[in-house]
Amino acid sequence: MSESHVLTESPPVLQARDVSKEFGAVVALSDVSIDVYPGEIAGLVGDNGAGKSTLIKILSGVQSADRGTITLDGSSVHFTSPADARSAGIETVYQDLALAGNMTIWANIFLGRERTYGPPQLHLLDKRRMAQEAREMLERLDLNVPPINSTVASLSGGQRQAIAIARAAAWGSKVIILDEPTAALGVGETHAVEEVIVGLRDKGFGILMISHNLQQIDRLTDRIWVLRRGHMVDHCRKADTNLEEVVSLITGASRQFAKGLPA
Amino acid sequence: MNAATSQQTPAALHSRFDALDSLRRYGITIVFAILVVTMMITSPQFRTKGNFLNLLQQNSIIGILACGMTFAIILGGFDLSVGANAAMCSVVAAKIMIEVDIGLGIVAALIAGLMVGLFNGVLIAYVGVNPFVSTLGTMTIIRGLVFVYTNATPLFGVSFSFTRVGLGRSLGVPNPFWIFAAVALVLGALLGLTRFGQHIYAIGGNAVAARQMGINVKRTRLVVYAMIGVCAAISGIILVGQTATGQPAGALNYELTAIAAVIIGGATLSGGYGNLASTIVGVFLLGVVSNALNLFGVSPFWQPVATGSILVVAVAIDSAAARSARLVR
Repeated sequence: MSESHVLTESPPVLQARDVSKEFGAVVALSDVSIDVYPGEIAGLVGDNGAGKSTLIKILSGVQSADRGTITLDGSSVHFTSPADARSAGIETVYQDLALAGNMTIWANIFLGRERTYGPPQLHLLDKRRMAQEAREMLERLDLNVPPINSTVASLSGGQRQAIAIARAAAWGSKVIILDEPTAALGVGETHAVEEVIVGLRDKGFGILMISHNLQQIDRLTDRIWVLRRGHMVDHCRKADTNLEEVVSLITGASRQFAKGLPA
Repeated sequence: MNAATSQQTPAALHSRFDALDSLRRYGITIVFAILVVTMMITSPQFRTKGNFLNLLQQNSIIGILACGMTFAIILGGFDLSVGANAAMCSVVAAKIMIEVDIGLGIVAALIAGLMVGLFNGVLIAYVGVNPFVSTLGTMTIIRGLVFVYTNATPLFGVSFSFTRVGLGRSLGVPNPFWIFAAVALVLGALLGLTRFGQHIYAIGGNAVAARQMGINVKRTRLVVYAMIGVCAAISGIILVGQTATGQPAGALNYELTAIAAVIIGGATLSGGYGNLASTIVGVFLLGVVSNALNLFGVSPFWQPVATGSILVVAVAIDSAAARSARLVR
């Protein structure tokens, strides 16, 4: 699907260096480094408990690292909350879809970032402006979804995931982190959501994606990063490897890619 | 690229979903309108001005409690302590009015009601106690304390001039109704027009999502329960105004009628849905039914039977509509 996609040689938009995190005696991450390039999809793979979720939580500000540095666009950043990460330009789409089903599409896109008018103390909702801006945001992303005033409960799973991803992209963020974006979707919907993801990559976002679906990793990603027991065992351009190699790294059968990138 | 729609339901299904949604939302208003029109035709007493004013007079306290309750129910909780809180506030207000001053009595009652609301809010939002358990607890504690303090007898001696608040009229309309209308307008604007209201719907719909998107879930919950405490205090003050006494046994079971009115208005106990206009329709639906039973000479003991039946039927219809809405999707 993306064989023809040309890898950029621009510097990484997001870099983590030697990130470590311990929970009591349990070492969740040990000196882990990862790069996310603009206009590329980085796939993060690993077995259950390998540390993928912890790494994503650190990158999205939910948890803080014990040691290590995170650089965004070349400057060092310290996140103490998800809001920090968001305002710096890192948006995360969680597996469990952070959407409120009882609310409209536009209300979800502006959830926690409502536009208001009038005296600032009153915080009066500017509903018309939010609906209009939400419509424009989705159009910019070439996303065709039901009317902006539909409630999210009336959408299919794929449409909801598309809205969740679009919300992340709409806020002008630099990096989008996707945690199992299609885990709950059927084949057709998975395909539709994958198109959304590829569309965002083509718009220049740096995308970091966790997936257990190795075929999907193979279809979508430009680089693959393999975590095993809290260590980043290796990373590789997708074009330089194959699924068997990835599996053997995940399970520990081999220790590095045959044609790994120079570190 | 048409990515998200390639596999999806066509727009027609969305409009059908939204139509069912509207039916759920406005169905009760239609039922209410039919009821009122039927009563107007069949009962000459019902359509008198005096009876309408009576309806406004009798349903204002429940109405104020139901307005506050709507917020808690949209959040996915409720508050069982409002009746006991109103009774306590009536006692506090009466005590201070008798011994010090009427204005100070009002202020003291508002503060007392607010304190109970804050206590509920801290328990629910910060300690994490389930709303049923925490407000059941405060309800029984408060009612018990009020009975202990008053020996379960009303507090007499409030200046009779204060009954203007509970029994008087302005521009021909009962004063309790003016107070109810003011509370409903302020709370309705807060819920429907402000960011705070939007956050209440978001928390009720998906509290995890709300938190992830940076909404202060705990503080919002605290403020809502505090606000409900103030609504209970206003109700308690009107109780004093209706009898010039502090009433330790007043507002008994009002919390349940208020919850029933909100649910009949279309809100769901699981949270996320409801609005003040529908709640007010629910309040007056129950009010008109009990008024009708009264006018037709039915024993007042039948009134809770009617309230309960309406509640069960309304929720059953709502669940059926919700199920077919899910089927549409």
